[in-house]
Amino acid sequence: MEILIYGAVTSAIYAMLAVGFTLIFGVARILNLAHGSFYALGAYSAYVLTTLAGLPLWLAALLSIAIVAVFGVLVEKILIRPLRSSQLGVLMISLATAFVVEQALFLIFGSEYRNVPAFIDTKFNLFGVDVAGQRLLTLAVATVAIGSLYAFIQFTRLGSAILAISQDPLAAKYMGIPSDRIFSLVMAISAGLAALAGVMAGPFLSVQPSMHLLPIVKAFAIVVVGGLGSIPGSIAAAFMLGYAETIVAYLVSGSWTEIVSVLSTLLMLVFRPAGLFGKRAAF
Amino acid sequence: MSALLQVKQLDKHFGGLHVLKNFNMELHKGEIVGILGPNGAGKTTLFNLLTGFIPADSGEVLLRGQPIRQLKANTIVGLGMARTFQLCRPFVGLTVLENVLVGSLGPRVKTHDLGERAMQLLAQVGLADKAQQASELLSYGDLRRLEIARALATEPELLLLDEPFAGLGSSEIEALSVLIRKLHSEQHLTILLIEHKLREFMQLVSRVVAIDFGEIIAEGSPADIVKDPRVIEAYIGKQNPLNLDNHA
Amino acid sequence: MKAFKGLDTLSSFGGLVALLMLGVLPTLFTGTYLVGVLTVAAIYGIWAVSWDFMSGLTGRENFGHSLFIGVGAYAAGFLNVHFGVGPWWSLPASMLVSMLFAVVLGFPTLRLKGPYFALAMLSSAVIMQRLMLIFWEYTGGEEGIQDITPLVKNPLHYYWFVLAVLGSITLLLSWMARSRWGLILRAIRGDEATCLAAGLPITTYKIVSLVISAAFAGLGGALYAHYQLQVSPQLFAVVTSITIITMVYVGGMGTIFGPVGGALLLTVMTEGLRNFGEWRLMIYSLLLIFILFFLPNGIIAPIWQKMRNLGRPS
Repeated sequence: MEILIYGAVTSAIYAMLAVGFTLIFGVARILNLAHGSFYALGAYSAYVLTTLAGLPLWLAALLSIAIVAVFGVLVEKILIRPLRSSQLGVLMISLATAFVVEQALFLIFGSEYRNVPAFIDTKFNLFGVDVAGQRLLTLAVATVAIGSLYAFIQFTRLGSAILAISQDPLAAKYMGIPSDRIFSLVMAISAGLAALAGVMAGPFLSVQPSMHLLPIVKAFAIVVVGGLGSIPGSIAAAFMLGYAETIVAYLVSGSWTEIVSVLSTLLMLVFRPAGLFGKRAAF
Repeated sequence: MSALLQVKQLDKHFGGLHVLKNFNMELHKGEIVGILGPNGAGKTTLFNLLTGFIPADSGEVLLRGQPIRQLKANTIVGLGMARTFQLCRPFVGLTVLENVLVGSLGPRVKTHDLGERAMQLLAQVGLADKAQQASELLSYGDLRRLEIARALATEPELLLLDEPFAGLGSSEIEALSVLIRKLHSEQHLTILLIEHKLREFMQLVSRVVAIDFGEIIAEGSPADIVKDPRVIEAYIGKQNPLNLDNHA
Repeated sequence: MKAFKGLDTLSSFGGLVALLMLGVLPTLFTGTYLVGVLTVAAIYGIWAVSWDFMSGLTGRENFGHSLFIGVGAYAAGFLNVHFGVGPWWSLPASMLVSMLFAVVLGFPTLRLKGPYFALAMLSSAVIMQRLMLIFWEYTGGEEGIQDITPLVKNPLHYYWFVLAVLGSITLLLSWMARSRWGLILRAIRGDEATCLAAGLPITTYKIVSLVISAAFAGLGGALYAHYQLQVSPQLFAVVTSITIITMVYVGGMGTIFGPVGGALLLTVMTEGLRNFGEWRLMIYSLLLIFILFFLPNGIIAPIWQKMRNLGRPS
């Protein structure tokens, strides 16, 4: 039962990260290695706004998401878009950006772990398991966020535009869909979602400058397993990975969890490079 | 005379689509055979299957009696069957000469002076003066010639040409036909080509295999094929616009 | 006429001269500070050259080069400290271990398109780093393996040894890059399907070039281990891979000799910025961004080209 609940929480966080990552890839063919930085900045921003600016948590959270979303848009416009012709160029520059951010965080905050305050401090007892309220809230928030995103894409005109661009960018352009502006919008959503994950998970996951690295490795693993560009695939794979890791953590040891992600990546790449639900293969 | 290339019951599905249906064909040494068919008939799929670029579901392909269906694409080239692509993709970043050199590295090439041989090949296709140019800057017609030179560099016995005239102007087509005929007679190459430009095709090939929807609908000399009702129907539809006796 | 460019006499001569100058340089100063810096620079040169041979020529950028460096270094550490084997055995052992990893990782990852290959290798390096920490009982965890015996006690002599290794590797890989190997790798970069149609077994070539790249990276790792006399999981860090890639970009991708210059330049530069030690990563990243935008052909190789063309009338 513990595994069920904790697995769900982990999966929810991974889902928020993976969906954003696969969204910007599906729409703009960008593998954004700075995605982990959005996660990190979300957590740090919440920390700064509550601890140093003394803002109430809910306000700090909203502001953090907004700030990171804007940051994401700026990164895309200034650094990534000029290099869009080369996927490797985008990869390198997003990675370089991620390290600039990591270094900046290190220089400003040092390497000690920081405390992001939780929305809910109390523990709940669910089906006989003690769970921190914050974790449950994270699960709830993730569900609402991803659900709304899915609804947005399926049922609104803007959402259809996004789908159109991801399926056929040239045709979408001919139809007058302003792809550049949509890219910015999608980037904002992607970054905002990652920041949300950082804000919600910050209280119970480690917050230090290099926290952006593992999320990227895992987001990549999830997206490979679920299929690049497929949101339902990413969600499904996020749950698979989240549960696999939780099970491994309980049965073997916590330190083995990262092996799960890279092993699953490599295995999937060998046997089924398009992922479980993907339409485009990675080669 | 045993066949150079034998295709037996070659079959391929793409998902639910039956793209090639129990295809049978024979090619004898020294022939120029053309595969005729409208778009979507399965011509390029056939080429891809024969040359190992996509796997077939079942059937046999025999080159000089040796089964090659399960072999890798580059191995098949090493056995003497080379192909060109309809969408020529030169090696970006390499010169024209280097493009041909890459084709010269296979097991069938016995010469030691690869550079000299590559220049000769370029001269044959008329690109000798462009040897040091960047290959990605070539015109469409020149790219076609480069494709052929690159395929020739592998010292093939059988050459598969995938729509060599596509996108070319009439003078270029004429020049390319002359080249193909010259290669056939001087180098004793067996040639299998796909086209749907009827005119040049008919003058070039000695035998035509017409296909539609993955099946052979007719086989014979160019003169016979043009009159075959099934071929006309596949291309133009049930009405024969050339039949001036129609009441219309 | 010659099919392949082959080694250029002028460049080889220039390289030899540069090598000699580098060898003599520390003797002009007292103390071992400069020798130390140059030794590290030379080792980075080995890493950069090995990266350039595979990734620079094929265009398949390997973001996990640090993995091969790390396993080579740890192989040296294990052999030397845990098994008490003489230090010279580290050199072939590190190469073998790295080559093994290259084969195992290469098969599933090399068929992927550029960015996915890069990320798969990056993930592998990150995981190796975690593995070193997880199995801390065997690997020494954060602190790694200590008290490795040096190969050559005298720092200056060791420097000359490393320099000789660097020179040999650069010579070998330059020659290969300008022979049919280089042609094939560049063709793979151009278009893989056309390569197959030209009869080339591209999977074999890709894997072999990765194996060669890994072998020398591992060798460099062992040399580093016997210089620092310790190995730690930091070797696997993404930072190391990024640094090397930056060095190659500065030097000129695909030129083989350029990255050597890039390695020297950047190592010396960072030493000069020693006081800003914590800023190093930031500076490298910013430099990389700058080069990607403004100088995609690098600095070193274009300068050398210009110098050569000065001597020519046409």
